[in-house]
Amino acid sequence: MPLKSTSPLSKLLRKSPFKPIQEHMRIVFDCICTLPPLFEALYDQDNQKVLNSARQIGEMESEADGIKKSFRLNMPTTLLLPVDRRDLLSLMTDQDRLADLCEEIGKIMSYRVMVVPEPLKPLIDELLEGTIEISGEAKKMIEELDELVQVGFGGGREIEKVSEIIQGVRKSEHNIDAILNRTYKALFDIETELNPVEVMFWYKIIELVGDISNKAENIGDRISLFLSR
Amino acid sequence: MDIIASYGTILIALAIIFGLYMTWGIGANDLANAMGTSVGAGAVTVKQAICIAIVFEFLGAVLAGGHVTATIRKGIIDPSNIVNNPEILVYGMIASLLAAAFWLMIASVKGWPVSTTHSIIGALIGFALVGIGPDAVKWAKVMKVVASWLISPAIGGTIAFLLVISTRKLILDTENPLKNAKRYAPVYIFLVGFIISLVTLFKGLKHLKIEFTTVESFGVAFLFGLFTASVGWFFVRNIEEDVNANREFHYTSVERVFAPMMLFTACAMAFAHGSNDVANGIGPLAAVVSIVTSGGEVMQKSELPIWILILGGSGIVLGLVTLGYRVMLTVGKKITELTPSRGVCAELAAATTVVLASRTGLPVSTTHILVGSVLGVGIARGIGALDLRVVGNIVLSWIITLPAGAIMAMLFFFTLKGIFG
Repeated sequence: MPLKSTSPLSKLLRKSPFKPIQEHMRIVFDCICTLPPLFEALYDQDNQKVLNSARQIGEMESEADGIKKSFRLNMPTTLLLPVDRRDLLSLMTDQDRLADLCEEIGKIMSYRVMVVPEPLKPLIDELLEGTIEISGEAKKMIEELDELVQVGFGGGREIEKVSEIIQGVRKSEHNIDAILNRTYKALFDIETELNPVEVMFWYKIIELVGDISNKAENIGDRISLFLSR
Repeated sequence: MDIIASYGTILIALAIIFGLYMTWGIGANDLANAMGTSVGAGAVTVKQAICIAIVFEFLGAVLAGGHVTATIRKGIIDPSNIVNNPEILVYGMIASLLAAAFWLMIASVKGWPVSTTHSIIGALIGFALVGIGPDAVKWAKVMKVVASWLISPAIGGTIAFLLVISTRKLILDTENPLKNAKRYAPVYIFLVGFIISLVTLFKGLKHLKIEFTTVESFGVAFLFGLFTASVGWFFVRNIEEDVNANREFHYTSVERVFAPMMLFTACAMAFAHGSNDVANGIGPLAAVVSIVTSGGEVMQKSELPIWILILGGSGIVLGLVTLGYRVMLTVGKKITELTPSRGVCAELAAATTVVLASRTGLPVSTTHILVGSVLGVGIARGIGALDLRVVGNIVLSWIITLPAGAIMAMLFFFTLKGIFG
């Protein structure tokens, strides 16, 4: 006779929502790490490579999107979570926005043949380096979520550690703001020499790259909300 | 009186068959569910869980199963109105047993979260209502039992909550979690051995002709606790920091210390389950045996014969070995979110609560208490996500199980009455 378990425990214990959040963040980080090769290809005027990188970003973005969707479907209001449900949903939205930003950058470069003005190159490199650093820190925070659950989002040591990372993220964001200003300034200095439409798109791209840091900082803010409950 | 004299043997045989059927069902499902937590945490293999369950379920039944059995046997129904018709009570007990076992079987096939305890209490009340009359139900006692169904999961939850907080303070949130885990693991294991044995020993072994004074009970329990603690120390003493495994999750090595602790809490769970749930199967059987062998004495003054406890323990073990292991495997596969550090807290809390209830003679639901304990861990912000819909389902299963058991017991009672006259 096929007996089924009558245990309510298997339905009580749901899959941890922190796992998909971490999985999502790893993909998002990979997405961001594809930006330097994309710009590298642009510097080299290698159109095929540009398209390849943009396509890679697009694929990763849809993978992340899939995780986000199934995550949302598995978050009924009846869940007892160690953190606020809405904060958790917003965290996922913030993370997903990071992938969206990368995708937008990739799209612009795949439908428009862009030529990088020489004075912008070092600044863009600096900007990308900072962006990857801050995203890496955001990812590090997300990877710490398991440990935070283990100590119940309380207690001294783990919180101190995460707070330190959050501080680091805020500092990096401040840093990137300065780089952004310099980049805008450099673009302004040469904008009369460039095609106006080209200038418009460069402003757009710089803004998109800068937004990645903003969103990464938002993630830090979300995590500090978890800690303050 | 004539019916008892002429059909006594057949009635006892029926009670034994249905009692075995019921305990078999309890072993196949209920016990499997209780042990599934340990399997799911990955701390205990299915084979180990079965061996633990066989030994400790049996010990729990024989050493501490008498109190709840007494409640089921003579605590719910007042037979003073049918002193001259003892066969009514015999039919009723057999009918209740069959009703509860039958309902349990339906639930097991359908996968409904039904408690064996609720089934048998519902059945007893159902029979008493139609077989003797509403006055025959000891409502005050029934209310006490129902209250214990509400309170026991809350107690389990509270203990689990406090245990989780203590593991954080003493182990997880410290400079060197692994060192502290190895230092405090024997203390927790001591608690497992000490509490369970103290509750069992304290004026609880009269049926085995063993009587300890308060001091002796504490002394023996303390020694037993020390024994379990040293066995536990032996298990955890060589666990070393695993830098590679810790990279992914910093507490991997610490969890490895909690894993062997789950062996002990699994033993405690099996013991607790035996001490409480064996009564659901053998309480009515004990009543029938007592009435028939005393020649129709409904007040059941005789002691509970030890062979009935042994029979009940064997039935449960049989159920586990024949069908329960598969259920255990499925449950274990589904409950993977409960890591050893959490599982230890939940199981220790649940086992303690159940054993306390057993000692007080209160028939409670092991599964519901385990759910309460896991919720306690969740309230301590210790688990990723718990679905509270389950709580609603449990309440629903109560509302359905009590009348279902009652109605079936009524039907079987009239059938038996029709057959034997």
